[in-house]
Order: sequence, then structure tokens, then C-alpha cells
Amino acid sequence: MTTLVRSELLKIRTTRSWWAYLMVIVLFTAIGVAAEIGSSSADRGTSDFQVSLVDTVGVAVLFAIILGITIVTTEFRHGTVTPTFLVEPHRERVILSKAIAGVVVAIGFALLSLLVVAAVAIPWLTIVDAELHLADGEFATRVGQQLLSAVLWVLMGVAIGTLVHSQVAALVGTLIWIFLGETLLVGLFGLLDVDGAAAYLPFHALDSADGSGGENLLSYEGGIAVALGWIALLGAAGIWRTRRRDIS
Amino acid sequence: MIEVVDLTKRYGKVVAVDHLSFRVEPGTITGFLGPNGAGKSTTLRSVLDLVHPDTGGATVLGRKYRELDRPIHRVGAVLEASEVHPGRSGRNHLRVLAAAAGIPRSRVEEVLDLVELSEAAKRRVKGYSLGMRQRLGLATALLGDPEVLVLDEPANGLDPAGIRWLRDLLRSLAAEGRTILVSSHVLAEVAQTVDRVVIIHRGRLIQQASIAEVLAGAQGGTRVRSPEASRLRTLLAAQGATVTDVGDGTLVADVPPERIGELAAANNVVLHELTVERATLEEVFLELTAGETTQ
Repeated sequence: MTTLVRSELLKIRTTRSWWAYLMVIVLFTAIGVAAEIGSSSADRGTSDFQVSLVDTVGVAVLFAIILGITIVTTEFRHGTVTPTFLVEPHRERVILSKAIAGVVVAIGFALLSLLVVAAVAIPWLTIVDAELHLADGEFATRVGQQLLSAVLWVLMGVAIGTLVHSQVAALVGTLIWIFLGETLLVGLFGLLDVDGAAAYLPFHALDSADGSGGENLLSYEGGIAVALGWIALLGAAGIWRTRRRDIS
Repeated sequence: MIEVVDLTKRYGKVVAVDHLSFRVEPGTITGFLGPNGAGKSTTLRSVLDLVHPDTGGATVLGRKYRELDRPIHRVGAVLEASEVHPGRSGRNHLRVLAAAAGIPRSRVEEVLDLVELSEAAKRRVKGYSLGMRQRLGLATALLGDPEVLVLDEPANGLDPAGIRWLRDLLRSLAAEGRTILVSSHVLAEVAQTVDRVVIIHRGRLIQQASIAEVLAGAQGGTRVRSPEASRLRTLLAAQGATVTDVGDGTLVADVPPERIGELAAANNVVLHELTVERATLEEVFLELTAGETTQ
């Protein structure tokens, strides 16, 4: 299993998209945190504001799900799934190794993003003479919550990729689902007078599981539980499908 | 060594493999032959547990592939030259698989040397020629130093020099005691390399035999050249032989050379040449797979 995870990590690091991921995360986080600080002048010195800057790590979280989908579907896209399954014919072990490698890399993404937040925010806030609240317990909590969020999103990605093997369908489908599908369902649930059900949708659950709060969401713990439930459900269906599939 | 028993695989209504059974004996190079679409790849993929058969199945080294301990140390396979991430270098492609199987990096360099790909190893596979991809595939198959090799059309895309290189490599691998099953739709590619052949057509077994047996069973004629060709022809025809005049005083008859010689001697016919005409393997192959080729 360790060797399989090592192989999966090597797969991620040996393509160009790896560098694209890192550069885009650094760039988007920097833009995000700069926009955040630049647009608010009054409350820069408050603990609440500084904790909210940690949420910029959400950029890495979005890339975590893309990574999760890609590390599975790229094998089907390029046919590398054949040699992969020849080395390890127990396909569920391959999927599991991908999930573990994905978690490791997603945490790396979130930490990188966090580093960029710090590199932009700390000097900036120091220059404008805002008091820093880095030692606040709330701060560490939010960092932990964002790291866990990255883990949940990458696992959701792996589960989706395991179920939908076509890379384009999985990526486009997921983005459409996140930005359109769930919104439409929320409207539908409203019409059917079951508004509460919306909070249980997969990406609403993931949303409540990042700790940043929001309207009509589950509790933080509830969000984690429901998100894990969706990951388990999609992942189990995906493993079933992947095991049955003819690799030809 | 490799045993396929009553293997059937359907894709929708199409029967790709139809109750196929054959054995590959240890220590031999076996050619797995059939026209395109005969079901060769599906069979090989079933042997390797990549495809789930509808009936029957296959064992390698006495077990199902997925039940082998560290399978790529026992069985090496090249299925399609394109099963490589185009953005990854040849070396990294091998390193990824070596890492998964717990094979040291030094072995990656060894197999790169063996297939003469060391110089191109750090280039992206995207820029490889088909021949280079085939070599990379062979390197992949050899990573675990396996005792059984399964190669699906490894000569595809190789130039004549490449085919000779492949032939020599397969021979030297077989000389080390490995068992090799190599598929091809062009008999000539493997005819000089293989000991035995398994010929399939439309998913069914046509023949399983040694090369010598296949040739022996082939209908060959006797070629005879004589300045008195037309007289000889009449004599042979009188004996009930089927004779073809191929011009230049040369006849081909479906009679053994001994009888032609005797007949010529008895009738004082001068012969300039008397040879047994062997059907080439290619002709045998076409003959065996013909008849059913039309829908």
C-alpha cells in the first residue's frame, strides 16, 4: 500500500499540470487576499477580519476537487490505467492509494495557499499599523477547518472520478453541478416547501464543513458528517463500477 | 504456464471470443495469430484480468492473474504502445510503475538500456515515435524481470530494423528460459521467432501446433523443370496428377518428387530441376483463416 501511494504521488509530480496547479494556487490566493485587504480599510485590525483572510485558502480547496477528479480520470483518458491495474490488479487498492495521495497533496495545496496568505497579509497589515491577532485560538481553528475542508473536497473529487471515468464529463459535470445544479435544486426544494433539504446536498454540506458559516447550512459537524456520507456513497458506487469495468 | 479454458467474451451482440481454449507451454515462444479483430487483444486482456469474460477464464502460472503475488514480477505485458501519459518522460513512466511495484530505480535504468532508450529517457513521451513507444512498452514489461511475457502486437509500427531488433530481443529473452506469448496479425513478423502457434479467427481456435506441424500439414506441390515439359505433363496427367504449367518449362504437380523422378526415368525424360515446393507460413495462415473471412 505504501508503495502504491508513493507511486501515485510520483504520478502527480511528474506531469506539467503539477506546476500549473502550484502557480495558479499561488497567483489566485495572492489576488484574493490582496483584494480582501485592499477593499476593507476600517476593520483590518480586528481579529474577525484577520481570521476571515484564512478563508482565501478556499482557492486551494477548489483545486483539491479538480486534482481529485483528475488523478483518477487521467488514467482512463491516457490508457495508463492498463499498466496501473497490471501492477495492482486489486482495483480498489489503487483507488484507495489515489485517495490517500490526493489527501496528502490537497493538504500541501492548502498549506501553500496559507503561506501565500501570510506572505501577503502580514507585511501589508504591519505596514498599515494594524494589530496582528495571529496568536488567537480562533485563528488556529480556522486554519484546521480549511485543511479539513481541502481533504473533504479532494476525497469528493476522487469519488466522482472513480464513478465518472471520462475526464471532461467529470470535470465539466461537477462544475455545472456546483454552480448551477444545486442552485436549481434549492429553488425546486423551495417550491416543494422542503427548503431544509437543500442543506443536505453534497456541495451545501461541503460548504458548511469549511467552518466559515453561511445561511441555510447545516452545523459545522453536521456538514462534515453529511459530506462524508456523500463521499462514501459516491466512492462505493465508483469502486463497484471501476471493478466491473472492462479495461480494453 | 498460460492456460485459457472455454473463454467467451461478448461486447453487446458481438462475440469477440467464442469458447476459446489453448495452452502456452513453459519455455516456448508462442505466436498468437489471427487477422485484425479475431479477438486476440480481448483474449490477452482476459488473461491479465483487465477484461471480465462471460464464460470460462484463464490462468497464468497456475493461478488467476489477480491472485498472483506481486504479479509484474511473474508476468510482464505490453498491450498497446499508447498507454503512456504523453506529458510524462519515458523514465518517469517507468519510475511510476517501478514505485508501485517496489522495484528499485536502478532497474529502471537497466531496462532503459536493454531496449536502447536511455538517451531519449528524459524526453516527454509525446515526442516519441511509435517504435520508441513500443520499446518503452517492452521496458515496462521487463521491469519486474518476469518469467512470462505477454506481448500484443509488439511489432506494430516498427521498421524492418526494429522488427529484427525485436526478434533478437525475444530470442534472447526466451533463451533465458522465459515463456513468451506474442500476438500478431502478420505471420511473417513472428514466423522466424516462434516455436509454436495458436491461430484464432473470429474468436475461435483454428489451430494450435508447432510451426513444423503447421508447415507439414500445408498442401505443397513438387516443382519440376524439364526441356520436355509438355511430354512430362502428359505423362503426369495420365497418372492422375494435377499439373500446372508455370512457364519456362516448369511444372508444378501435386505428386511427391520420388514419383516424378521414377516416372521421368522410366520414360527417359530429362529433368533439370526437381524440388519440393513448401507453402510459406503466410500462405498457410491465409488458407487457415480464409473461407470464413467473408461475412
